[in-house]
Amino acid sequence: MLKTEELQINIGPQHPSTHGVFRLMATVDGETVVHLEPVFGYLHRNHEQLGEIWTYLQTITITDRLDYFNSMINEHGYCMTVEKLAGIEVPERAEYIRVIMSELSRILNHAAALGFWLQDMGSWGTTLMFGFRQREMIMDIFESVGGSRMMCNYMRFGGAARDITPNIVEQIQLFLEGFPQFIDDFERLMMDNEILLARSRNVGVLPKELAASYSVSGPVIRASGIPYDIRKAEPYSIYDRFTFDIPVGTVGDVYDRFLVRMEEMRQSHRILQQALEQLPQASGSYINQAYKAASKQQGLRPPAGEAYCRVESPKGELGYYIVSNGGNTAYRYGIRAPSLINLTALNDMCRGYKVADIVVILGSIDIVMGEVDR
Amino acid sequence: MTATPEQQTTTQTALRPVGGGGVVVVERKQPRQSYGQGIAKGMGVVIRHFAKSFTTRIDDKSDQVGMFTVEYPEERMELPEAYRNMPILLYDDKTGQELCTSCFQCERICPPKVIHITQAKDPNTGKPVPAAEEFVIEYDSCMSCGLCHEVCPFDAIKMDHFFELSTHDHLSMDRNKAVLDRPISYYQAIAPNLWAAVEANAMKKLQNNIKRRPGNIGVAPHMIGKAQKALPTAGAGGARPAAGARTAAPVAAMGKNMPPEKVERLKSIRAANAAKRGGAVPSAEETLLAASAYTSATASPESGLHTAESDAGLAPSPATTPAPATGPVAAVGQNMAEDKKARLEAIRAAKRAQRGDE
Amino acid sequence: MPLLNKGELRALLERELPGALDRAKPTNPYGAAEATHHLEVVDTASDTMGDTSPPPATSEAAAERQAEVVDKEEPSVPPLSDDDAVVRAERILDVALFLRDQFGYNFLSRVTPVDYPAYGIIEVVYHFYRIEGGPGQVVRVRVPRDNAVIPSITPIWPGANLEERVCYDLFGVHFPGHPYHKRIYMWDEFEGHPMRKDFEKIGDSYYHFKWKGEGGEE
Repeated sequence: MLKTEELQINIGPQHPSTHGVFRLMATVDGETVVHLEPVFGYLHRNHEQLGEIWTYLQTITITDRLDYFNSMINEHGYCMTVEKLAGIEVPERAEYIRVIMSELSRILNHAAALGFWLQDMGSWGTTLMFGFRQREMIMDIFESVGGSRMMCNYMRFGGAARDITPNIVEQIQLFLEGFPQFIDDFERLMMDNEILLARSRNVGVLPKELAASYSVSGPVIRASGIPYDIRKAEPYSIYDRFTFDIPVGTVGDVYDRFLVRMEEMRQSHRILQQALEQLPQASGSYINQAYKAASKQQGLRPPAGEAYCRVESPKGELGYYIVSNGGNTAYRYGIRAPSLINLTALNDMCRGYKVADIVVILGSIDIVMGEVDR
Repeated sequence: MTATPEQQTTTQTALRPVGGGGVVVVERKQPRQSYGQGIAKGMGVVIRHFAKSFTTRIDDKSDQVGMFTVEYPEERMELPEAYRNMPILLYDDKTGQELCTSCFQCERICPPKVIHITQAKDPNTGKPVPAAEEFVIEYDSCMSCGLCHEVCPFDAIKMDHFFELSTHDHLSMDRNKAVLDRPISYYQAIAPNLWAAVEANAMKKLQNNIKRRPGNIGVAPHMIGKAQKALPTAGAGGARPAAGARTAAPVAAMGKNMPPEKVERLKSIRAANAAKRGGAVPSAEETLLAASAYTSATASPESGLHTAESDAGLAPSPATTPAPATGPVAAVGQNMAEDKKARLEAIRAAKRAQRGDE
Repeated sequence: MPLLNKGELRALLERELPGALDRAKPTNPYGAAEATHHLEVVDTASDTMGDTSPPPATSEAAAERQAEVVDKEEPSVPPLSDDDAVVRAERILDVALFLRDQFGYNFLSRVTPVDYPAYGIIEVVYHFYRIEGGPGQVVRVRVPRDNAVIPSITPIWPGANLEERVCYDLFGVHFPGHPYHKRIYMWDEFEGHPMRKDFEKIGDSYYHFKWKGEGGEE
């Protein structure tokens, strides 16, 4: 019998398909992965400590830089936590604005993530550009409301930085009008593709039982068949007012994650339609008037205590844990980064598959290094 | 992908019935028997988009098929009013008085701490005056978060729309007051609605502050000597852009590879515009002179102030001709003319009708 | 499985898992009000432990530290929360399993360390949730700063793997039993734990701007 020897190979940190500066130490037996050890820290900037040095308002600007694909949801979660800590009420209209921005952000993220994932499989940019075009339209909306395309810095404690004008509502409506055609095109583009099916079906399987104990969340846990979505499990903001479904998979492989993301975009579209319908009836202003002035937000001193809030980010469960000592900076500012914790299962998902499958599985987890290393 | 909810929705008892909706199990496709069909189907989409890109131009944002390329830098997309790039300081067009009173609010709120202010002092009495003696922003470490313009109680610091800032060195990115100053009319041109919302308040506060500023303190450096003594009044902030005409945000700098006749045309249009605007606009040379005290020592000719184009003799860059030009550089989507708007509406209505028929 | 209310877990643990609760309440020995008490035992009746409590500081050390505190004008320290179950470090695995198997809290959301130099402890907060939904449970472990050791729960809860490595890397909490007990963000040769409050901050050397006369270039 042929004697084989295990070999350790290094993937990354400078590698186009590791989605940033991410390094993997793979132990392989021939082409088969035996063990996988992710190595982190190439983008570490001690974000949590920065949150302890900067005031609460200033920290909003760096939550954008956590997961730079969905800055709006990062801000949403952070503002919710500080509001809980300080007991700030959010007017109804502001909640609608936040939900609209969050769901747009989810579509943006999934469109780009699926595009990147297909690119990892070798489709050389075609699907990526389809996804990016949609992302571009959403970023135009973000630019109109927040002023910046990616680092929106739009949410404030008690609401949002400025109101959305009828012009912007029309812009969002135009986007929603075109969205069904986009998702149909996107689906037709890759759903039946034999290469996609061959490379994703029954690859990187994460069984249901393992998924929960690994604390993975977001599309990864839903693809494994567990309908765990914070928007339903512990509804925050005004998500209990909308009708939407949670897509779940059955096998828990890469293909299921892809299907779940496609369906989630459709569900986000449903939520957006309902939110835009209900927006004109929403009472209140775009921000809690007592905290409207930026200088008031800057001098915010929540009473001593702690708060932990979770939101459903496109990557998974995003949590903020803040301990306040009554000062104008947080005593402790901790983040549950979904991208990081979803990577815990990477080793188990990759074991037994080929080296070329690693990038496909990694792409299906959808990580952003800004959040993993923070 | 998914079947209808009636067929596949399984509401789990464990999940609390919140809002509406339940759990949808996504439908997995089986690979086809004859290989190549799926790829052909995907290629069909690509080919359709490709072919349409030659014939159709996207006007309506809900369109999915067609050409949507904007040929930067000749064409530019219209920037939304709320767009923010780097902070600038405003001064009154007529008197040259800056709106900044050096209250240090922006310096305090700035997350990366790149704003540095010193307060002006009355040379006779030594008492502080509500004006900034020097105001420096490190553009290279600015994160464009916009908190400074949000917190400013005097609406003196605003976010610019000019984004072509690349230089070779860090030092020239320390921008001082002479380089940061822009007339109010410039800001009015790039963000008419935002300025209209704060104008009355800002001008009132400015009038109060001018009374407490002796001599030339608080006057924008290049306006010293030609400042009018009259107090500004709200609404008289200088050359107002024509009502209704949404002027393009920073004027497209003329590229070197433009055809010469186009450059000539642009130049003439700009000259005409400048003449129309009158004397409220500092010329490039004046701004340069005022700024040279700060950067002449170290900055190389093409670095320093972002006026490389003006040195080349083509045209003053947006930084030095802050006033707007009413869209001479024809750009699709830049100036949404009325007729185009109407046409868009017609297209949309037709589409809606079409959908209704189906 | 019944949902637990906020204070309920504490009473339950007392009944079901005797000796799991940490009753030592660390006080701020440098605070003005409670300068004399270093270790305050809340309930003396059933107290049989206390071995993992922070060591009482001597009075001289306290005086020294107080002087330092006054000099530096450190911000006030948040009070320690005592609503939730505070568990002795060596029993955390039992409690976590108890929560999961008896009450269905099967999703570990986060392991968050918080450094309290004023109390001399590091508090590690575990957030457990249910995958079916609903509010979660908080379990806390308080370990002394100079001897921060908590048994790893990674063998039972693989989801804690990377979180515990972050705790170790940035806060210096040791987790014996962890399968890969190494630094995660900082390089292996790095000394110290940067998220501790007393870690010396080097500052940002990038900002180059200086006014004239301060060594500025112009």
